[in-house]
Amino acid sequence: MSNRQSDRSAKLDFKNYEIEASFYDEMFDVDGSPRAHCVELHSTLTDLTQLELSTMQERVTRSFYNEGITFIVYGDEAAGERIIPIDCVPRVLANAEWRHIESGLDQRLRALNLFLEDIYNEARIITDGVIPVDVIRGCPQYRIEMRGLSAPYGAWVAICGTDLVRTNDGFCVLEDNLRVPSGVSYMIATRKAVKANLRNAYRRSRVLDVEHYGKLLLRTLRDIAPPGVSDPTIALLTPGVFNSAFYEHMFLASELDAELVEGRDLIVNDGYVYMRTTSGMRRVDVIYRRVDDDFIDPLVFRADSYLGVPGLLHAYRLGNVSLANAPGTGVADDKSVYAYVPDIIRYYLGEEPILANVQTNLCRQSEGLEYTLDNLENLVVKQVGGSGGYGMLIGPHATPEERDAFARQIQADPANYISQPVLDLSRSPCLIDNEFEPRHVDLRPFILRGDETRIVPGGLCRIALPRGSLVVNSSQGGGAKDIWVLPT
Amino acid sequence: MLSSSANGIYWMARYMERAGFMCRLLHIQSEALVDRPIAEIEFGWRRIYRAIDRNPLGGIQGAGPIDDYTLVDAYFLTDELTFVRENPESILSCLERGRENARQIRNCVSEQMWTALNTEFLRIRDIKLTDIWLTSPGSFYAELLTGIDRFTGVATATMYRDEGWHFFRVGQFIERVQFSCSLLLTQKTLELQYGELAEASWRSLLRIFHASGAYDRTHSIEIQPELVLDLLVTDRRIPESLLRSVDRATQELSSLGDGPNTVTSGALRRLAGRLGALLRYDWPDRDDREAVLRQVLTYSQQLHALLSETYFDYAIQGVPRSNVR
Repeated sequence: MSNRQSDRSAKLDFKNYEIEASFYDEMFDVDGSPRAHCVELHSTLTDLTQLELSTMQERVTRSFYNEGITFIVYGDEAAGERIIPIDCVPRVLANAEWRHIESGLDQRLRALNLFLEDIYNEARIITDGVIPVDVIRGCPQYRIEMRGLSAPYGAWVAICGTDLVRTNDGFCVLEDNLRVPSGVSYMIATRKAVKANLRNAYRRSRVLDVEHYGKLLLRTLRDIAPPGVSDPTIALLTPGVFNSAFYEHMFLASELDAELVEGRDLIVNDGYVYMRTTSGMRRVDVIYRRVDDDFIDPLVFRADSYLGVPGLLHAYRLGNVSLANAPGTGVADDKSVYAYVPDIIRYYLGEEPILANVQTNLCRQSEGLEYTLDNLENLVVKQVGGSGGYGMLIGPHATPEERDAFARQIQADPANYISQPVLDLSRSPCLIDNEFEPRHVDLRPFILRGDETRIVPGGLCRIALPRGSLVVNSSQGGGAKDIWVLPT
Repeated sequence: MLSSSANGIYWMARYMERAGFMCRLLHIQSEALVDRPIAEIEFGWRRIYRAIDRNPLGGIQGAGPIDDYTLVDAYFLTDELTFVRENPESILSCLERGRENARQIRNCVSEQMWTALNTEFLRIRDIKLTDIWLTSPGSFYAELLTGIDRFTGVATATMYRDEGWHFFRVGQFIERVQFSCSLLLTQKTLELQYGELAEASWRSLLRIFHASGAYDRTHSIEIQPELVLDLLVTDRRIPESLLRSVDRATQELSSLGDGPNTVTSGALRRLAGRLGALLRYDWPDRDDREAVLRQVLTYSQQLHALLSETYFDYAIQGVPRSNVR
């Protein structure tokens, strides 16, 4: 043990902190000086002793543990509930950076909603040759059952969580999560825990609030209520306590003051949805569903599902209940469709995309397939319908055998894969074993769309905790930290 | 309120109440292990297992027509009743089930309630009996009991007084009636089976009900079994007496709406009234105490079934759909 490690009253400075020019550092400039918007936080952190910092870290972790802010990893249920590792060092964004992100997210969601309205109705974007028909129809998330339907205010996607990363070239979108995006509860819980422990820096920085997300969500869900319903009854549909994100479902139901229902609590009768209450069957107008399309209505989708509600889609088609998000929105966050999002924005809005896409090679196209197979060692390859960091290959980190095996999978079903260059994700200081060390991070802001776009300033910052790792997913050992957006 | 939420609150309260009872029983038993005669210790085990209507897991070595608990290792029994998850009545199982219910209805209870329950469960989840056996099992149960009482106190101090609160209280009191009644019935049955019981067994019974001091003040320090039984059944000043628990359950039921099933709803309220009348008016005049207690137990089980039919699992056919949102 070094003297430094043994002296817990010593202040932790950033002397050993590594800054590499190839990775954008969220706190430091390449010359090692703190960025202008990080000076306040940097000064606070360097003023704290190792003991104070580690105690703070323990308190943050303990608060998650005591409050049961947990998730379950599928396939590892034996491990039971886990808490997401929270790093107590926030990531700071300057206001101008956030405004750029915010306008880009608004633009992107407006365009994607127009896209969904179009492909389930006139499909002009296909007839105009912007997107090949097979990209849409070949997508398993395209739901033929939604043809001819519209959503109030065109808000097919009312709730979205977009994954952004930053490189030395700026921010770009890695993924649009348009089905049942999760993580917002961790954003708020992290904020509460971190601000309680960094009170002075938080106050002095005048960090913009994110804790009013629940109010914005409620407004959004009210916006999309069926026509003529001025005071809608809202319910949040969860797959149940064994779902990995059950804590979040409970948290959001509480924020909305809505009932947290499972499929067995709901019935459809005469085209309306009712929930079983202690005083009888009560009508439900808006359902924020956290159940995937496949399981939402066994009469239409998977017949073996016990999670959904028989007849729900019928009630939806009649306009008697609103669903957030609408079934079939997954087609717009398919990784093949992702490659066309810049074109989608130009097509519907006549604007240039504010946020860039990552260059994407579609293996369904012969040139994309050839390029991918020739450059596997330099690329990240993903399944088009994959998520959570599963079903992907990070070429530079894989063994030759793993790459060969993956190449065979790609060749067997090229349309199921895309490839992207390995990005130099930005890094942010994290408290690791009582030292500040850089770790790669991403950013998931949460965007709401009813009659207008609503975004809280911030999001969930996910961390790839193992040194050098690029995988930020919590199911694969990722952690999280707070994001502070400053007012100026 | 959503029926499933009401059901979750009700069961959370029941499991926590049960955990409290088990804890008190084991606290007293762990003290007996230190300096009481073997016969008294054996009686203590027998009373616990009879009250929860179980036999030790894997049976009893050398058990004959009359279970011989002296042959069974106290360590094994303590472990089974405290930490063994396969035993649904163990304290850990009760806390775990209480917490599982709480986890599902966290949006219906106060944040403080959840935290009190969660931290208590997490605190004991990884404790093994070996960690406490040689040093301080007594203080372990005392501390745990404080944690469970804290949960109840926090609930009283922080829970919103809506329907959920009434289901919470109904759960508490129905469990209290059933567990108390089982315990008193066991005591009475064992008395009939073995003849006069040692004074210490009645004294410990009083302690389980937090009524030892009340007995001394009301009667004397001399134990008279019939007076003990009377006190624990009918003295409404004792928070856990049967009559008080029945009255409180009835009061909470009257605070609930009728529910969609008016037939079972009426039956539920009538049965609660009958149960109170049995204790208030029949008990003093009847010599067959065991039969009365058995009747109380049956009624309380029926009360649970009717509550469930009225509010949680009612048949949907015939229930009017409300257009009111």
